[in-house]
Amino acid sequence: MNEFTTASITMKDLAKHFGAVKAVDQINLTVEEGTLVCLLGPSGCGKTTSLRMVAGFEEPTFGKIFIGQDDVTNTPPYARPTAMVFQSYALFPHMSVYDNIAYGLHARRTPKKDIEPAVMEVVHLMELKGQERKSPPHLSGGQQQRVALARALVIHPKVLLFDEPLSNLDALLRVRMRSEIRSIQRRLGITSLYVTHDQEEAFSIADLVAIMNKGKIVQVGTPRELYRAPADRFVAEFVGLSNIVPVRLLESNREGAAIEVFGQTIQSRRAPRNPNGEISIVLRPEALKLTTSSAHGVPVTVLTLAFTGPLARYNVRTQDGTLLMVDLHNPAPDEFFEEGRQVSLLLPESVPALLG
Amino acid sequence: MIQSAAPPAPITPAARKRRLQFAGLILAELVLLAFLGFRYIQVVQVVDRVEVIGDQETTYYRNEIVADPLLIGLVLAGMALPFASNKLRREPALLFAVQFSIVSLILFVLWPMAQVFVESFRATRGATDFSLVQFERLLQIPTVARATRNTLALGITTAVLATGIGTLIAYALTLTDIPFKRWLTILTILPLVSPPFAVSFAFILLFGRRGLITYDLLKITTVDIYGPVGVVLVQLVSDAPLVILILSAVFASISRDLEEAAEDLGGRPFFILRTVTFPLVMPAILTAALLTFISSISDFGNPMLIGGGFQVLATQAFIQMVELFDLQLGAALALLLVIPALIAFAIQHWIVSRRSYVTVTSGARTGYVRSLPGWIKWPLFALTAFMALITILLYGSIFVGAFVKAWGFDFTFTTANLAGLVSAFPQLRNSMLVSIGSGIIGGLIGIMIAWLVTRQKFPGRQALDFSATVMYAIPGTVIGIGYILAFNAAPYFWTGTFSIIIIAYAFRRLPVGLRTGVAAQRQIDPSLEEASLDLGASRLRTFAKITFPLLNRAFFAGVIYIFIRSMTDLSAAVFLNAGRTQLYTVRMFRVMTTGTPSQAAAFAGLLIVIIVLSLAILSRLTGKSFVDLFRVS
Repeated sequence: MNEFTTASITMKDLAKHFGAVKAVDQINLTVEEGTLVCLLGPSGCGKTTSLRMVAGFEEPTFGKIFIGQDDVTNTPPYARPTAMVFQSYALFPHMSVYDNIAYGLHARRTPKKDIEPAVMEVVHLMELKGQERKSPPHLSGGQQQRVALARALVIHPKVLLFDEPLSNLDALLRVRMRSEIRSIQRRLGITSLYVTHDQEEAFSIADLVAIMNKGKIVQVGTPRELYRAPADRFVAEFVGLSNIVPVRLLESNREGAAIEVFGQTIQSRRAPRNPNGEISIVLRPEALKLTTSSAHGVPVTVLTLAFTGPLARYNVRTQDGTLLMVDLHNPAPDEFFEEGRQVSLLLPESVPALLG
Repeated sequence: MIQSAAPPAPITPAARKRRLQFAGLILAELVLLAFLGFRYIQVVQVVDRVEVIGDQETTYYRNEIVADPLLIGLVLAGMALPFASNKLRREPALLFAVQFSIVSLILFVLWPMAQVFVESFRATRGATDFSLVQFERLLQIPTVARATRNTLALGITTAVLATGIGTLIAYALTLTDIPFKRWLTILTILPLVSPPFAVSFAFILLFGRRGLITYDLLKITTVDIYGPVGVVLVQLVSDAPLVILILSAVFASISRDLEEAAEDLGGRPFFILRTVTFPLVMPAILTAALLTFISSISDFGNPMLIGGGFQVLATQAFIQMVELFDLQLGAALALLLVIPALIAFAIQHWIVSRRSYVTVTSGARTGYVRSLPGWIKWPLFALTAFMALITILLYGSIFVGAFVKAWGFDFTFTTANLAGLVSAFPQLRNSMLVSIGSGIIGGLIGIMIAWLVTRQKFPGRQALDFSATVMYAIPGTVIGIGYILAFNAAPYFWTGTFSIIIIAYAFRRLPVGLRTGVAAQRQIDPSLEEASLDLGASRLRTFAKITFPLLNRAFFAGVIYIFIRSMTDLSAAVFLNAGRTQLYTVRMFRVMTTGTPSQAAAFAGLLIVIIVLSLAILSRLTGKSFVDLFRVS
């Protein structure tokens, strides 16, 4: 399957209002050719609505959608070069696996002799050999997922759309399927837009992640950028457990800033955007350390300890009453502190960015 | 990245194809309009004046247009309106489906009903100015004033009694441990399958002047069944099954957890009944009461047959219109009849549209059997068994009556009455033709509108849904009158044809097809259709390959429901059929009023057999049990 032609997706000032509710509020996003972009956000943030507008199921209130150079805003769904993998898979229950996969080819009036080879090609690709005559309800969740993907791939779409495709699978299968989806997408080099609410899934599969909240795209970046330098509090909290602590700005210049937190001075590699507003930093639990042997840490009291195997998770309280979460990975025997004990908290020497 | 200054995108083949389809659709519609305009806008020559000069007589003619400009305007507006929606404009198939639904509802629902309204404010046929003279006449004619009071009193009495009794029986059948529940359930809802006026006929066989029970067994000759009490009893038997169906479904779905939670919090049985159980079923009880009210005031056959001198609006409208040819007064009576029905319908619609509390959540334990103290249980059992006994007597009397020489006088076995049925073959054929036709048309339009209102978002969707459902509340009498007023005269001359009866029945029972379709549609994952569209299948292909195959059972169920309702209808039939198109029920009604009881019993028996056979087919088709079959309608 090398003859794929693929195309970028561009959403320009795209908006969808349901009455007074702005489900999607003027978003701009480009999915470059061959890349996989995730729309990530809590439920109701507008990510699925955006995807459905690209597929053509929802009509934008205003704004435009381009696939490659073509404006498809007013094109009905059946005339768009998109193929979608649905959350419920949407396999036709009255057709066999083979007929499900061949459906899009029949709809496109592909010559009869070309249909079988095309179907069998994706059957092999998706490792569905031997399942062709089965009826979808008799397949396992993972197999149904494969059929859904095969059915989408066989029509050689320019763009693949995924609407929370893994949410109906159990945890183990989800991890396996997402790496499979990723490797097939890479191999075929097909532009993909992927919607999920699962941060881990988004980070492990995407080239770029666009975080949405309340109808707007809050930040677009690679998973690493998002994690290390979240643009605001919402992103910081959404992409992982965070301690968000207000700080005092000591000085800032173009190279970065010096800030004071819990009486200690640390560096930020980026200056605040608004030096006069309230400024906070994100302290990831795994970036913090607890020790009894250091004199220059922040004195804290251990409130609770939860040991989950790979890590020991502490809730501690500083002297000014701030509560913090600290994760010690692969804890050594001398890193277990019982509740109520006074220990020192070691802050990182620098943080990538500031909030505010 | 697309820059805003990018050159205009070239027209893709898909876009060109769409434009072609669009142009084709508009062209086809213009041709159709031209054809209809040619047919239904007629130019006739009428004598303008005659001049006599000497012995030379010159007649001058002028051309006059015979047409309904208002109707033409409405149809054109109905066709033009969908173009306003951007969503519909981009898909010709969808656009056409919406246009088709709107235009057919305008032509066959709104227009005939508007005629009833307009005609009742006219002094004479063709008068153009507003007049209240018909309503003044209504007040002056004492039988009409009495009929109005009778109708309301009858409707309320029947609704209250049928709902009360029906609710108790439904409770007994679903939530108590009375014996023979299965058989009692079937027997108590069985009267639904017979034509309503067959119940009064059977009542006459049993309790009439020469009734088996009243005359032969009890030797009563002083009182008879004819009159208001007879009508109420008969309607009670015909309408209670509907209440039983609605409420047993609701009783069965009440979550046991709710009542146990109330008990756990310290509620005593009657306190729980008052604060938990009753509020949960109240909306259903009200719905049932309003539906029986509509059914009761719409009833034409039973008051006609067993009412004696007891006149209601439905029978008065028939007398004024068909026997006295007073169209305007008939329309005014129909208007009086339709107002309470529409009010009841609007209230019922409002109750149903509010959030339903009785929701079936998976895992909730529902429909458990309560063991009640004997003083509650056995009276409930007696009531239920009594209703079942009446059903047995009804059907028994009809089938026995069909095989005896002369009911009430000579009970020797004979098959002679069946010979009389042979002469009714043309009417039976007419009825079958009309009912199958209306079933298919109503089923198709019903499923299409169901698909539009559940799956598509476009402005005016609610109005479409309401227009397609409102016929449920309109009595058959009113529909008959409306169709006559709308299509009787030039340029249509449509009455007395099969097509007007088929169309009238199809749209009268459209709500049944629509509700069946909507219920089935809701069971289907909407992403199936989206997947098909997304894979490149057109709307038409998606409907043919995905939607319809998944809905075809619902479609056939709708067809058979409409078939049964059309086979048993009398109230619209008496207005719409004519000599050549006489229907079986009309003939049967004649035989019941003028022939011997045994002949009439043979007619009723045959109709019941046809209905039961259709239900058997339906049961196989849908895989539902006999009782469940009725749950949709």
